[in-house]
Amino acid sequence: MGTAANQKQDKWVPTCCGQCYCMCGIKARVQDGIVTQVEGNPDAPTGRGSICVKGLAAPHLLYDPYRVNYPMKRTNPKKGLGEDPKFVRISWEEALDTITEKLKECQDRDPRGCFFQATTTQASEIRFGVIGFMRGFGTPNYWVSGGGLHCGNGAHFMNGIMHVSWSIIPDFAHCNYALNFGCSKGHGAGHTAVQNATQVADARYRGFKNVVFDPFQSAQASKAHEWVPIRVGTDGALALGLVNSLINEHGIYDAEYLSYKTNSPYLIKPDDGKYMRNPETNLPLVWDLVDNAPKVHNDPSVTRVQYEDQAHEVALEGRYTVGGVECTPAFELLKEHVKKYTPEYVEKITYVPAKTISRIAKEFGEAAEIGSTVTIQTDEGPRKIPRRPVATHFFRGAQGHTNSGWTCLSIDMVNHIVGAADTYGSALGLGGTVMDGYQDENGNKTTGKPYQIPYPCPDGLLTAKAWVYDHVPYPLREPKPPTRLDLHDMFPTSIYNAFTICSPKWFEMLERFEIPYRPDVMINFGSNSVMTMGNAETVTENFLKKFKFIFSFQLYVTEFEEAVADIILPDTCYLERFTPAVSFPSTFSHPQGEDDWGWTIRQPVVQPLYERRDFNQVMIDISERLGIHGKYFKGLNDTVPMRYGGPMEEKNKLIEDGSVVHTWPDVCDRLVRDRFGDEHDLEYFKKRGLITWPKRKEDVYWKWFNPSRVPVYFEYFIESGEKISKLWDHYGGKDFFDFDWSRFKALADWYPCPTHTEEDPEYDMHTFYWRSVIHCNSLTQQNPYLDECAQEDPDTYAVQMHKGTAAEKGISDGDYIWLENPEGHRVKGWVSLSEGIEPHHLAIAAVAGHWGKHLPVAEGKGVFFNDLVEMDLGHTDPLTFNQDICCRVKVYKAE
Amino acid sequence: MPQYGMVIDLKRCYGCYACVMACKVKNHTPPKIFWARLLKSEQGKFPNTVRQALPVLCMQCDEPSCMEVCPTGATIQLDNGIVIVDKDKCMGCKYCMMGCPYGARYSVDTWESYFPDGLPLSEYEEWAKKYWEEKFGVGVATKCDFCRDLLEEGKLPACVEACSANARTFGDLDDLDSEPSILIRKHRGEVLNPELGNKPKVYYLAPR
Amino acid sequence: MDPKVNGQLQHEWGWLIAIYLFLGGVGGGAYTIAAINSFLGKGAEFSTTVGLWIGFPALLIGTFFLILDLGSPTKAILAGMKPGSSWIARGTWIIALFMVLSFIHLVLHHFTNTPQSTMNLVAAAGIVFAIGTMAYTGILLSASKGIPFWRTGVVPVVFVISALVTGHFTVMLGMVLFGDGEGIRELLATVMAKEAVILVVLEVLAIFFFLHASFRTPDSRESAERILKKTSFVVGYFVLGLALPLALALLLLFGMADSSASAVKCVASNAALFGLIGGLLLRQGVLVCGTMPTLNIGGFQFRRIARPKDPKAGIGTLPPQ
Ligand SMILES: Nc1nc2c(c(=O)[nH]1)N[C@H]1C(S)=C(S)[C@@H](COP(=O)(O)OP(=O)(O)OC[C@H]3O[C@@H](n4cnc5c(=O)[nH]c(N)nc54)[C@H](O)[C@@H]3O)O[C@H]1N2
Ligand SMILES: Nc1nc2c(c(=O)[nH]1)N[C@H]1C(S)=C(S)[C@@H](COP(=O)(O)OP(=O)(O)OC[C@H]3O[C@@H](n4cnc5c(=O)[nH]c(N)nc54)[C@H](O)[C@@H]3O)O[C@H]1N2
Ligand code: SF4
Ligand code: SF4
Ligand code: SF4
Ligand code: SF4
Ligand code: SF4
Ligand SMILES: [Mo]
Repeated sequence: MGTAANQKQDKWVPTCCGQCYCMCGIKARVQDGIVTQVEGNPDAPTGRGSICVKGLAAPHLLYDPYRVNYPMKRTNPKKGLGEDPKFVRISWEEALDTITEKLKECQDRDPRGCFFQATTTQASEIRFGVIGFMRGFGTPNYWVSGGGLHCGNGAHFMNGIMHVSWSIIPDFAHCNYALNFGCSKGHGAGHTAVQNATQVADARYRGFKNVVFDPFQSAQASKAHEWVPIRVGTDGALALGLVNSLINEHGIYDAEYLSYKTNSPYLIKPDDGKYMRNPETNLPLVWDLVDNAPKVHNDPSVTRVQYEDQAHEVALEGRYTVGGVECTPAFELLKEHVKKYTPEYVEKITYVPAKTISRIAKEFGEAAEIGSTVTIQTDEGPRKIPRRPVATHFFRGAQGHTNSGWTCLSIDMVNHIVGAADTYGSALGLGGTVMDGYQDENGNKTTGKPYQIPYPCPDGLLTAKAWVYDHVPYPLREPKPPTRLDLHDMFPTSIYNAFTICSPKWFEMLERFEIPYRPDVMINFGSNSVMTMGNAETVTENFLKKFKFIFSFQLYVTEFEEAVADIILPDTCYLERFTPAVSFPSTFSHPQGEDDWGWTIRQPVVQPLYERRDFNQVMIDISERLGIHGKYFKGLNDTVPMRYGGPMEEKNKLIEDGSVVHTWPDVCDRLVRDRFGDEHDLEYFKKRGLITWPKRKEDVYWKWFNPSRVPVYFEYFIESGEKISKLWDHYGGKDFFDFDWSRFKALADWYPCPTHTEEDPEYDMHTFYWRSVIHCNSLTQQNPYLDECAQEDPDTYAVQMHKGTAAEKGISDGDYIWLENPEGHRVKGWVSLSEGIEPHHLAIAAVAGHWGKHLPVAEGKGVFFNDLVEMDLGHTDPLTFNQDICCRVKVYKAE
Repeated sequence: MPQYGMVIDLKRCYGCYACVMACKVKNHTPPKIFWARLLKSEQGKFPNTVRQALPVLCMQCDEPSCMEVCPTGATIQLDNGIVIVDKDKCMGCKYCMMGCPYGARYSVDTWESYFPDGLPLSEYEEWAKKYWEEKFGVGVATKCDFCRDLLEEGKLPACVEACSANARTFGDLDDLDSEPSILIRKHRGEVLNPELGNKPKVYYLAPR
Repeated sequence: MDPKVNGQLQHEWGWLIAIYLFLGGVGGGAYTIAAINSFLGKGAEFSTTVGLWIGFPALLIGTFFLILDLGSPTKAILAGMKPGSSWIARGTWIIALFMVLSFIHLVLHHFTNTPQSTMNLVAAAGIVFAIGTMAYTGILLSASKGIPFWRTGVVPVVFVISALVTGHFTVMLGMVLFGDGEGIRELLATVMAKEAVILVVLEVLAIFFFLHASFRTPDSRESAERILKKTSFVVGYFVLGLALPLALALLLLFGMADSSASAVKCVASNAALFGLIGGLLLRQGVLVCGTMPTLNIGGFQFRRIARPKDPKAGIGTLPPQ
């Protein structure tokens, strides 16, 4: 064919997608110097040759005429929503001079006044430029805007405690029965979306049963063997209902697992609810039923690391006197505690029929086949391990509420009750959890990296070796007098929060909490926080406008830049730059199940177009101009071990004394060589795009190979809560927010969100958002391929509403309506009527409804849900500060 | 000569649009052209509803009514059963679009930009336009050609390769041992609207 | 009207094709009337003259509109390649031959005084092609598997009758314009009016039957419901394009025995004009209400999505006005 024939150049370059954080390995086709096509890389376990609709649509992202191609500066000093920024093109020199000057001023005032904002979408890039700079410059202040507060604070923290992982997912290859609490895993979203889709499709033919709890018939609910409509924000209650039904109604639980792999047998003191400890060793005690005596939790006679180890039976129930105090095993307390979650009680909260609840509990319990085992091949030969082909899993949907923390724990609790955690067929830590270093073709460990094997703390609880943040999810940090702009130091159960910095009383708070500095310079890498956080006006007025100077690395001029950016720097997109690591060993975005490990990199498929420059190179340049590059590199040396699985060898470490300014490619080269040996340098990766090595079965199903236990009784929350509340009171925090400290306790409960307690009958609908497979957050609506696709989809740009409800309200298909929350914030959209949605709910997709003048394709498409999201403490989980993203609204026809 | 056909397994398909996009970027189709398309439907009353996606493309009918109505002979059926449009013979009367009961044909008058506001075409669009005009032409009817250029290279159609659920299987329907043939037998594959009598060569496996 | 863009609708064939089909019909119809009347001998002589003068150019212009609609007009020459299977190809040949014949007929009729007997032969042959042409404009649609609404033998019938009606009205119009004297008045108020009444009544019956039949299957039913919601169809075609001309024709027939020639002409021309507009609206309506078949599998019915005309409805309170 014409073109095909007289091709001058036609090559495929292996690299990694970057339109969401699933990190799919891709091959980009370059014809006549133009990237014309992107496909999945068959060598990549993330999808084995398949990628999603977004990844495929890449050419329009790379060549979009609306991309930012030159540095620009704001000429209209006025900031705010709807202001025309009047951006004009400037030279890189001018841009960098201004930026350096502003940063220098900030350094003189107080470097902590510098705040780094970044996007989750580029999860890996931010671990270099952002962290290196923060360390070098000396500021603790950052957030990844919506990331975390919408999807992470609750889920990552709790999964970190229970699985040392970012999230959990069924072992699709062997799981027979799963309960999905609001996530699209295997159906278009999640952390390894494409690979999971393949696994679920195969599982469906195996007779895998998937029960999906979702307010509307999402993609996963459509494919599920049973869709159970649930009221938003009530998953915690449902989960506790299932736990109760399992234990107290059907008497189903895995005593073996609970005894040796959880803190269920730990003896609890009646007075303060804390562990009864051994006076000498201070270790928690369990009751040995054979010797009829207390034993420390790790006494060989009462511990089983591997399944075939022998140990005495320990008490899960009853009362036992130790040192004159009558103690109770944690499990007994849990068993009693959950009794109040009767099917009837839970039905009232969740809209899920009582009968359904106990039926599903029974099905789940029976499918767990407690007692069944399989034998797997390990490096030490065949080993027998429990087989538990059931799993609950969840993510953004279930956890995006003011009860986030406990809801996450409650859902996962269902797994632990039946012993379905990190073993064959069960719920697995997503992205692996145990990674024991690269193995070459001959099965030899060369560098011993990347390495991440969790270990037990003195109390016996599962502790992460590597994590994506500076601090592991367990043990908790000590609450400290705040130094950060969001007072984060006080709150060990969160990574950052919005309720402080987005409060109209922010500065008063800083005053009161004795923060000596004020917001000064903001650096933004990507995030469009004006749209992705919550109510745009709140974020802009209360938070963003408080900064003296904001510069932003961007692909597009988004609503954020229009509103508040002083300078925009044209960044490269993922097809134009190097990234030495895209996922984290082994907590995040690594392939699931038994398929190989893969370590993927990004490389420029084409050289950066126009004047675009790689964020990570520019951050190094800026650091050099500020003379902090030495500290910048030290920052990376210090943080790489935690995030990428092990310390750097001396020879590969970045030079810290400032005598050398490493280029970004050099940094990348050093990291990969350090992890995989000198023969696997950047050149090697440029040829293949990734390196893979086999997963050991005992790493996939690590539970019965690891000596640690997980909590079902969260004893340590109690003390943490006491400490925080003391600090809070010390500063008179009450004057700002009335905290519910009762959430810092040992046993799970469900708490209502504002949407459940709203009394005004006028506000009769719940609304929530979901992810369309076609769009990723706020990025992709500007891609005309994807926009066109979304317009083909009946739901992506619509407000889904139940036919009956609409009829009552005199609303018909295609009508334009307003959704207005009790605070008076409202958004507009057109209605798509359906029977596939719970009648009290309205479903809205993506971060849509752009109004940016520089995003003409995206402009006005879909609904801007977040304007309905309030950002005060009342709409925040007091435990993890996860934001509440379900709202009560009234609806009425527009014009 | 093989008789190429496809099986789309609705039990696997989760409506992800990857096939739609794979086709778009493989063929660089202009705006509003969906050789591979996804239709969505719902049945039942709350809460007993089911939703399903239906990926459609040219059914490569054995008795193509599009070809029957084509006055110029531009639409022809190759020996391997693939129905194609010869852009040099097509006069763009669009009669085939009325003749195809599966809505698989698309006429393209000019190659419009994907972006609003009449900016100059982007580098990619320039390239895509050239590719499209040379290969499929404007002012003519166009349709899915089963990626016959890829088939010649011994590859699979783009939409088949892209499907993460492995819902699409491609092969020779005359060969009883080919993957699609086996699936059709094993799971009683059916064609869309058989009453139309077009004898499609794209089969579907039941959603549940 | 529909608030949404309905993906099921065919949107490729619109006014241009409607005019093509309309003029094809007019040409065929006018000629047929002319020819038939020519058998009636000297009496209807003038109507024949007019008919012949209209038939040929109508076809010529009609074909021009078809070419206008083509994506690649330069390749129009290929239109006749596949008469074996394609109705456009067949139509092209029929119309082409018919044009030749009607042209010959025109020439013989005017510039020679060929004996009536041979003229009758020519006319007879002409009529065959005229009917072919009229039928073709309908069969073209009824041969379209992609549009259930069209896919019925009734469509050609409707189109043939409507073609005769429109043809007849064009002749009437022509007579009004070019003819004068008592003869015309006589013709219009008797023969022509009578024919008009008969033909229009037939068309009413046919169209009723057509729509009635359409309600039997879901897809054609949707089209039928659509067309019945169309003002241009209900008012434009039904009321003004059929009922009114019928009334006027009846008036001519029974009510104007002793009114002036100009009065008769006025009524006749109005009847004709409205009748013609009706004929065009009929075709346009039938075209644009055509929808693709619903695809059925696994108990689901699949259709392309219908979405609001303006997808840009998402913007909430922002930017602050
Ligand atoms: N209504 C609604 N709100 C949501 C969500 C939702 O689904 N619906 N999702 C929530 C969740 S879970 C999250 S994680 C957050 C995500 O919110 P954000 O972190 O803001 O992520 P995105 O919305 O993807 O915005 C990415 C921005 O970064 C830019 N960008 C993309 N790639 C690059 C790059 O390579 N370099 C640079 N410099 N910029 C780049 C894009 O132009 C885009 O403006 O949103 C949250 N908010
Ligand atoms: N296609 C696509 N993939 C993505 C992203 C994207 O934007 N698009 N974003 C990436 C990011 S940043 C993240 S965080 C992940 C998120 O991945 P997921 O957690 O899978 O996110 P969602 O698809 O939003 O899943 C939320 C589901 O829960 C339902 N839901 C909402 N509220 C509730 C509730 O209260 N209870 C229950 N039971 N269900 C509820 C919604 O209807 C929706 O179906 O996806 C990542 N991958
Ligand atoms: S899932 Fe995410 S990473 Fe993978 S192809 Fe799609 S957008 Fe890219
Ligand atoms: S790619 Fe596969 S799963 Fe996705 S819509 Fe197409 S056929 Fe269905
Ligand atoms: S599906 Fe339509 S276009 Fe394809 S062969 Fe059949 S009739 Fe022709
Ligand atoms: S549009 Fe082209 S292919 Fe279609 S019928 Fe007309 S000439 Fe044939
Ligand atoms: S076979 Fe090729 S042309 Fe046909 S739909 Fe699939 S990708 Fe498109
Ligand atoms: Mo996220």
